[in-house]
Amino acid sequence: MDELTDEQVISAILDGDKDLYREIIKRYEKKLSHYLLKFLSDRDDIEDILQVVFIKVYKNLYGFDINKKFSSWIYRIAHNEAVNYLKKRKSGRISLDDVEYKLIDEKADIRGEADRMFLKEDIEKVLDDMDIKYKEPIVLFYFENMSYDEISDILRMPKNTVGTLIMRGKNSIKDKLEEINKKHER
Amino acid sequence: MNDEKLENSIMGKIKSGQVKLKSKYVFLAEKLGLGTAFTLSVLLSVLFFNLILFYLKETDNLKYLSFGKFGIFAFLESFPYLLVIVFIVLIALSGYLLTKSDVSYKKPFGYLAIGMVVLIMIFGGILTYTNLGQKFEREARKGNESVRAFLPLSESRNNGIAGVVSEKGEDYLIIQTPQGLRRIETKGVEDISDIEKDQFIIAVGEGDKFNFKVIKIKIADKKDMPSINRGIDLKFGDFKEKDIKFLPPELLQFDEVEKTCIKECFDLNNGPDTCFKKCHK
Repeated sequence: MDELTDEQVISAILDGDKDLYREIIKRYEKKLSHYLLKFLSDRDDIEDILQVVFIKVYKNLYGFDINKKFSSWIYRIAHNEAVNYLKKRKSGRISLDDVEYKLIDEKADIRGEADRMFLKEDIEKVLDDMDIKYKEPIVLFYFENMSYDEISDILRMPKNTVGTLIMRGKNSIKDKLEEINKKHER
Repeated sequence: MNDEKLENSIMGKIKSGQVKLKSKYVFLAEKLGLGTAFTLSVLLSVLFFNLILFYLKETDNLKYLSFGKFGIFAFLESFPYLLVIVFIVLIALSGYLLTKSDVSYKKPFGYLAIGMVVLIMIFGGILTYTNLGQKFEREARKGNESVRAFLPLSESRNNGIAGVVSEKGEDYLIIQTPQGLRRIETKGVEDISDIEKDQFIIAVGEGDKFNFKVIKIKIADKKDMPSINRGIDLKFGDFKEKDIKFLPPELLQFDEVEKTCIKECFDLNNGPDTCFKKCHK
């Protein structure tokens, strides 16, 4: 089963093998849960949203273009659900594990730009306060390891815009961390 | 809820039939509907842009601006508002439908929208080389209400007039217009000495359906306002411009005597109805 691509699994489901949808859930449950955790704080809410996402995906499988990447499509649906939730609740938070903290630290080259006294909580706070417009591509690029092409498909924006938003988001993180660092020094 | 619970819960709903796949025809219809609506709105935008160009190019509307501030009211009065409004709405609709397509987000929307508008204008411009505008003009003149609303060709204007001088008096002119004969007052207007019978004129002034007081007047070239010219021919008898389909069949079978009589009658500036009654046995 593992050797089948997502798209092949979807084809098989559409050919009548409904049971195979279990495989899709297995492949994406953790990934999507991890992604949603960057926007939502409550684990129960995340599970509710996951349930909605998987049901929506199943219902709309005929709407998926088999020539495109399934992962981008399912992330797009999860993204829409997260945005709808945030619009209703107006709350969100970022929770980074140690690996992620290291990842953003290295990829965004924050350490080189500012002092070396940043705290993990500082990055979490900066990301929490960040405009969702920048937060979404930053999360997908740094934490979900998505390419610009995939992010473009998920967020439905041109690749250049994705690049610009990531760069601006990264600069904004650096600036805010420098400010926080200066406060720590005083 | 742990991972397995979520998985079992969803699979349970699928197996029990509580959650079903939406029919592929729903998506097909959605795609086709979107594609059709987009194509239709773009085609209609092209048509409306063509009609705007046609109207501005072939009627008196833009020519009033040559009178400067005196021509502004006449220009505004004869402007094809409905045509322009519908064109803008169609462009907006096309843009909206474009954002709903699967590929639109790959390029910045601004570029796509500009590209789409430029293409619509190019094709609308190309269509001016066909006689599509004239076909719509004919429909409007025949009284087709849905076309007349867009092409305000038949309404008398209160601030501007264009047509052929039928009679010249001391303080007045009788003008043949697509709407019929109109008497216009020229008292106090400078430079009307050059104006003669059968000349094509354009004037701005103020008035109503029955009276018109000229403020400025000038001789114009009828080739600059072909639509006005066609309207006058249609009303006052240039047989060539009439839509022959609408003549009764018996009127098409004249003998030589009748033909000569009709020609002479037309030469005397009589209308077709008068001439047919007079000459047809």
